[in-house]
Amino acid sequence: MLDLLIEPWSWGDWMWRGMLASTLAAIPLAVLGVFLYLRRMSLLADALAHVALPGIVVAFLLTGSLDGPVMLAGAAAVGLLSAFAIEGLAKRPNVRSDAAIGIVFTVFFAAGVILLSTTVHDAHIDTSCVLFGNVLAISDRALWMLGAVAPAVVLLVAVFYRWLSVSSFDPTLATSIGVPVTLVHYGLMTAVSVTTVASFEAVGAILAIAMMVVPAATAHLLADRLPTMLLAAVGHALVSSVVGMYVSIWVNASTAGAIVVVGGVLYALAFLFAPRHGLVAKLIRRHTRDVVLQG
Amino acid sequence: MQSLFSQQVADRAAEFFTFQYDFAINALMSSMFVGAVCAVVGAFLVLRGMSLLGDATGHATLPGVCAAFVFVGAKETGALLTGALVSAFVAALLVGLISRSNRSRPDAAIGVILSVFFGIGIVMLSYIQNSPTAAQSGLQSFLFGNAAGVSREQLYVLGGISAALIAGVAVFFRPLAVATFDPVFARSIGVPTRAVHYGLLGALSLAVVVSIQAVGVVLVSAMLIIPPSAALFLTKRLPRALVFAGFIGVASGALGAFVSYLWEGVATGPAMVIVAGLFFALAFVFGSRGVLGRLFTKNDALSTPGESQATPATASAE
Repeated sequence: MLDLLIEPWSWGDWMWRGMLASTLAAIPLAVLGVFLYLRRMSLLADALAHVALPGIVVAFLLTGSLDGPVMLAGAAAVGLLSAFAIEGLAKRPNVRSDAAIGIVFTVFFAAGVILLSTTVHDAHIDTSCVLFGNVLAISDRALWMLGAVAPAVVLLVAVFYRWLSVSSFDPTLATSIGVPVTLVHYGLMTAVSVTTVASFEAVGAILAIAMMVVPAATAHLLADRLPTMLLAAVGHALVSSVVGMYVSIWVNASTAGAIVVVGGVLYALAFLFAPRHGLVAKLIRRHTRDVVLQG
Repeated sequence: MQSLFSQQVADRAAEFFTFQYDFAINALMSSMFVGAVCAVVGAFLVLRGMSLLGDATGHATLPGVCAAFVFVGAKETGALLTGALVSAFVAALLVGLISRSNRSRPDAAIGVILSVFFGIGIVMLSYIQNSPTAAQSGLQSFLFGNAAGVSREQLYVLGGISAALIAGVAVFFRPLAVATFDPVFARSIGVPTRAVHYGLLGALSLAVVVSIQAVGVVLVSAMLIIPPSAALFLTKRLPRALVFAGFIGVASGALGAFVSYLWEGVATGPAMVIVAGLFFALAFVFGSRGVLGRLFTKNDALSTPGESQATPATASAE
């Protein structure tokens, strides 16, 4: 049993590189995800992660390079553009915000797929890598990018913690006490786009979405206060990336997928057994209440 | 890619209209069916504020496809589609279950189910690809679809199911419309809203499943959302909106298939989505309820009394 845990580390440096990459991706994504969740914007994670693909492609077409800063800038630009587009559409009285998200990100994503398949043959952008990531063969470049972006995002969240939390819980109050709510919104969008792209090579688009949505949803089942919620989300993200790494090695399957599945199992456990908000706790409360009422 | 407009592209365009290749006809027809059925079913999702449920159901077909492949051991379309249907429907039910527990938010419920189901699918896909049968699987084409790979038999199935679904929407139009716009009123006049809801989820799952061969799991949500959203810029009345959405869907399918025939490397699914996006942009600007149209109509409030609109009153009155 212990062999199964220790042995992979002796097979080469890809094990610790993979662990480093997946945890470096997991922490900022989980933190940003909590704020998206509180703002009921979880699906913007979905949108921005898909939109990052055309961001990378366009940045490559314009500059001919796939350097870290170029990719991050491209993703940030296209991410912001799509956030503006979504906002603009959702303002129309006959477009709901979820439809606006769906329209914008699918069109952007389709454009990215077409550009990728027709014009960028020599760019070595691997579609399946962008979608699913490749933790176990992560490049130095991607590792450096994560190493720069992850601490920066966590630091920014810490610095702007008050603005972020007050505008997430009560935008009206935030506006009235002078918090630049719009700026915070687009800042958050930029951070999400940049972090998503930085984590692409490690975990891919789909896992980036999962890493934003699932830890936050789990944390909300376990915690009632923002600081505990953030801790729970980061804990969930770390546990699922470490356990998921091992699972993927044991069963010889996609690491990104395994990390999501472990995260999903943790969510299901929390959904059922969370102390206050779990399904079982709710049923027990209902039962005891009935007993008290009848007795 | 060939240069955008070359003799070669012109030749391919001429070649397309001779309709001599079966695969081109199959691709064209299947894309049009997909456009029609997604638009009609998607319209009710869009109106109910459940647009992105289609995205979740689309992604959720992947584990079902893989499970069916492992179970049957071959790429047999019927089995794969059944697997896809089951997992799509289960995912839609789970989204409902999580949203109803008041602790979780509906949007997060969609995100959780989407990513977890897709994660399961990726694990199974990579597992299958690492196994000896990988060569014959070709399951990857489910991600982005492959309209040119649709066989004549598959086309008949797709056409049959699409026609049945559209007919179903026509037959149950009134309960669907009332339950969509005013569930409380619908219950009071005896519409079984719960049955309507599950029926819609079933229809959604079926529509998604028959569409993934042509557009793929990642982009099927576009065909569910974009044509109806465009139609809502053209009219206020639901029956007309459904017809417009259907036409936009069919036209996007046809043009998308044509465009992907012209240029190598352009897959049909993304091409359909881009065309649909252009239709949406046109409707957004020039539609009677669009940006320009609104300049010329003074009172365009969503529910103007006396004006026949897709509200419970119209939907229920003959």
